[in-house]
Amino acid sequence: MASTLRSSAAARRIFAAAKPTTSAIRLLPQTRVAAFHASQRNQILPPGPQVVHGTVNDPVPVPTPSASHGSYHWAFERIIALGMIPLTVAPFAAGTANPALDAALGTALVLHSHIGFDACVTDYFPKRQYAKTRALMVWLLRASTITAAVGLFSIQTNDVGLTEAIKRFWRA
Amino acid sequence: MASLRQPTLRLLASSNIRRVASPTIFNTTRSLATLAEGEVAQKKQPLIKKFSIYRWSPDEPTKKPQMQEYSLDLNECGPMVLDALIKIKNEMDPTLTFRRSCREGICGSCAMNIEGTNTLACLSRINRDASSTSRIYPLPHMYVVKDLVPDLTNFYKQYKSIQPYLQSKEPAPNGKEFLQSKEDRKKLDGLYECILCACCSTSCPSYWWNQEEYLGPAVLMQAYRWLADSRDGKSGQRKDMLDNSMSLYRCHTIMNCARTCPKGLNPGLAIAKIKMMMVQSA
Repeated sequence: MASTLRSSAAARRIFAAAKPTTSAIRLLPQTRVAAFHASQRNQILPPGPQVVHGTVNDPVPVPTPSASHGSYHWAFERIIALGMIPLTVAPFAAGTANPALDAALGTALVLHSHIGFDACVTDYFPKRQYAKTRALMVWLLRASTITAAVGLFSIQTNDVGLTEAIKRFWRA
Repeated sequence: MASLRQPTLRLLASSNIRRVASPTIFNTTRSLATLAEGEVAQKKQPLIKKFSIYRWSPDEPTKKPQMQEYSLDLNECGPMVLDALIKIKNEMDPTLTFRRSCREGICGSCAMNIEGTNTLACLSRINRDASSTSRIYPLPHMYVVKDLVPDLTNFYKQYKSIQPYLQSKEPAPNGKEFLQSKEDRKKLDGLYECILCACCSTSCPSYWWNQEEYLGPAVLMQAYRWLADSRDGKSGQRKDMLDNSMSLYRCHTIMNCARTCPKGLNPGLAIAKIKMMMVQSA
């Protein structure tokens, strides 16, 4: 089988394209069915081929532990989310905007949105499938976060402050 | 059954008088479920229900998956969807493929998507409203082996990765077995009942998106089952295995798992408890 395949140019291309390093096996033959379809395929992106790492009896690989991406990250995220509740209520309770509270709220807001959007990027752009799009999205998010942070800093230092700005928008 | 309505006859029918009097190989008493001689079964009006079932065969990989309709008389069929599927396979289309084994909700083989809900076919009653078609799909977002049979290879590999067995550093203190208090045993209730039918994992959007890396509710609930076990001595390593961005923390508390579980368990709660455990130990 292999010798007959190797004789053709098409087969050589297939062998050249196959990565020899991966131990993945395909359970089902990958078929290119698009040519046979009479109607439009109603999917945004085609499903990838099924890849099974190792044999079917091996456990899936366990990632190396990293608390900064795992438990610390989760705790940090929850602390910020919980902390934002009193920070949002405080200006209403106090009646006036305090620059220190404003700064704290601005920081928490930026961090909270960054973590939230980062979770979306992780969910919707899996590394193994869309590595390049993922990298683009991560950098786009970082740029947006920095822009937002700079904007809030400028409102805080050169303008009326975050709470007062929201108040004016509300009353406008 | 008309003959049984008179008390004396009923007494005679249920007694063993005749059996004792004539110990022949012919058992002349009849059970209550059979009809008396000359009695005609009351034929019910046929109740024709349509079943629309997902079909795809690996023998014809270029053929698109399609829905095939079958009509069944519900009065000639058992009450559960699995009964209908077995009847279709036996009497109408032997090529229809699905997994089934115990027919009583303890093996988890017949997990499938019935009328939009992941459930066990053997535990879900047929909707007797004949005007609506019952639509049956395999578990969503899984590779399909054939018809209603999903490929659970990755699911089982993930289950294996959490090391679902008791691990201890030292031998049992009494030299025989690990004892557990009643309170500690109670912590495992609602966890050990899981039959790994994969209904919850395949209903989880997060698992749909990242099923190669996120372990999914079913496997995580089993991870918690071993973390919560007072006899297990490797909870540190077990927590380390989950301490990354993908394995555990892709759970966003969507709670489809608890809603769909045919056994009434709550994997979402178990995952929340793992998250609390991870923070407390850190």
